[in-house]
Amino acid sequence: MEFNLTTKEGFSVVELSGDVDLSCSAAAREMILRSLASGQPTLVDLSAVTYIDSSGVASLVEGYQVARRKHLEFGLLKVSEAVHSVLELAHLDQVFRIHGSLEERLAQG
Amino acid sequence: MTEIARGTHGGARGLSLESPALALLEDVNRDLASSLDLDETLQRTIDRVMQHLHVEAASIFLQDEQDGTLICQRCTGPVDVTGTRVGPGQGIVGLVVATGQPIMVEDAQHHPGFAPQVDARSGFITRSLLCVPLQTRGKCLGALELINRPGGDGPFTPADLDLASAVAAAAALAIQNMRMVRALVEQERVRKEIELARDIQLSLLPAPNPALAVAGFNLPARRVSGDFYDFQRRPDGRIHVSIADVAGKGMDAALLMTRTISLLRCLSKTARDPASLLEQINAELYETASRGLFVTLVAGILDPDTGELVYANAGHHPPLLRLGSGRYECLPVQAPPLGVLPVLGVPNQRLSLARGACYFYTDGVTEARDAGGTPLGLAGLLDLFDRVEPLPLFERLPTLFEALRVQQRHFHDDLTLLGLAPEVSEECLLALEFQAEPRRLKTLRRDLNRVLLAQRLPPKARESLIVAVNEACMNIMQHAYGHSGPGVINLDLRRIGDRLDLLIVDHAPPVDHQSIGPRDLADLRPGGLGTHFIQSAVDEWQYGHLAEARGNTLRLCKKLEEGD
Repeated sequence: MEFNLTTKEGFSVVELSGDVDLSCSAAAREMILRSLASGQPTLVDLSAVTYIDSSGVASLVEGYQVARRKHLEFGLLKVSEAVHSVLELAHLDQVFRIHGSLEERLAQG
Repeated sequence: MTEIARGTHGGARGLSLESPALALLEDVNRDLASSLDLDETLQRTIDRVMQHLHVEAASIFLQDEQDGTLICQRCTGPVDVTGTRVGPGQGIVGLVVATGQPIMVEDAQHHPGFAPQVDARSGFITRSLLCVPLQTRGKCLGALELINRPGGDGPFTPADLDLASAVAAAAALAIQNMRMVRALVEQERVRKEIELARDIQLSLLPAPNPALAVAGFNLPARRVSGDFYDFQRRPDGRIHVSIADVAGKGMDAALLMTRTISLLRCLSKTARDPASLLEQINAELYETASRGLFVTLVAGILDPDTGELVYANAGHHPPLLRLGSGRYECLPVQAPPLGVLPVLGVPNQRLSLARGACYFYTDGVTEARDAGGTPLGLAGLLDLFDRVEPLPLFERLPTLFEALRVQQRHFHDDLTLLGLAPEVSEECLLALEFQAEPRRLKTLRRDLNRVLLAQRLPPKARESLIVAVNEACMNIMQHAYGHSGPGVINLDLRRIGDRLDLLIVDHAPPVDHQSIGPRDLADLRPGGLGTHFIQSAVDEWQYGHLAEARGNTLRLCKKLEEGD
């Protein structure tokens, strides 16, 4: 598991990887909140996430709520199948803005 | 006049009676001693006294033991006053009974205690009167009253008083004896009836059958029992089981028990499942239950081949499921007792008995006290279950009871046990014990994935199940061990027939599982998804506790797809 925070094309991108479970969801949460604290629109890249549990999902939900309060954009990038099925189970796949890639997001203008 | 020599006749000391009077006393005593018909003997006694003393009327009043009213039991004379009632302390009779002292008057009409109502009603005129108490062992049972002597207008004499007192003493003794005989006869009748009731109750309990996966044991605290157990094999091979405890332990409890078992036997033939059976019995008992009586009852259907028990529990002690030595799961109580609410709202619950026997008990068992007054308690009962575990099921409960007797325990309440121990073919797929630490979760998911790959589960179902188990273990780490520090989690996955049965046990302080429910997904907030994930992944799930507050349990059941 390795989490990175980078800036690409005006977006703050949080890259999560591996199994985002109780052992590391606090770190994921902290990084997402740090990104939003910088005032940047934030995208969470989930392409390398092999597993996410409810504590990981909770980090995403919290990011979504903080972004709304700050009127910042918050979206998910490259949601892996493993993550998508969990989001679906929680009925959150319709809540988050999910993009296939950063390019796809940029093409939307 | 013959005076009886003082000090020589103990029974007639100080009396001054003529020989005809002695003859009368002898006749009266013989009658009273030999006859079994008290009313007839009393009648003959007052007839004899009337003839002997030439009085116009004589009567015997007896005091009602309930309210103290004096009732004329027998009378003789021109007017029949049998059945006349006089309030306690009323009239001359009432005074005599209240004080235990005789009254002898020449003119009753001028006596302050005289009640003229009877004369007024009958037209009879009372003049001279002699009334003596019927006393035995210091207790006044009533009075003997003689009126108008002799020939209707003369006064009574001290000799009359002595004679009347002697007759009254003999009559009182006879009355007292007769009452004791009647009480004994009544006691014997009740004893025989209770014996009969006991026989009927015993005949209602099922006969032991070593071939069945079910066995019961019942010992009433009195002759009859308010408890019962039942098991009946159905045509499809499944077994109806039940255990019940009626509040109280006397005849009323026994009758309600009999009514409940009849309802149970009758309604179980058509009831869809245990919950609807309990609802129907409840509706019947609620309609007719009285005096605060109620029934706690667990009813279930056991499939002896798969070990699956579907049961519903109305207010009864949590059934105990043996998971290992000293480790028993307490299955939660789901509804109030029968007969209290018009609708019970009890759910069906499913349980796999593949891991070990399931025991039901009534509180007479845990309340059995030793010589020092210490009750057996749940811990003591679990210890006994462990001790009898190596025996065949049908020998376990009698052996357990024998152990209680050896411990010289007293049984204050009915004692009933029911054991279910089906022999099930099952396969243990995974048994893990690990520290409740988040870093263990990845290994857990990997191990689980490995064994589930070999089972007939579509990939999505497999993933969901892994998510569910992961969430359950997370809950234990975050909530159960959250305050007490990390402990151990036991996970046991078995394949039983066409389903996967998973048991997750922690050893943390008891968690209030009522507070853990799936949240409303429309309520968008970070936490609370775990239970929803669990519920979505499995066909059945149930939280529980280990007995004696030794931990918490979660059972998950997932059906495998057919034909794969």
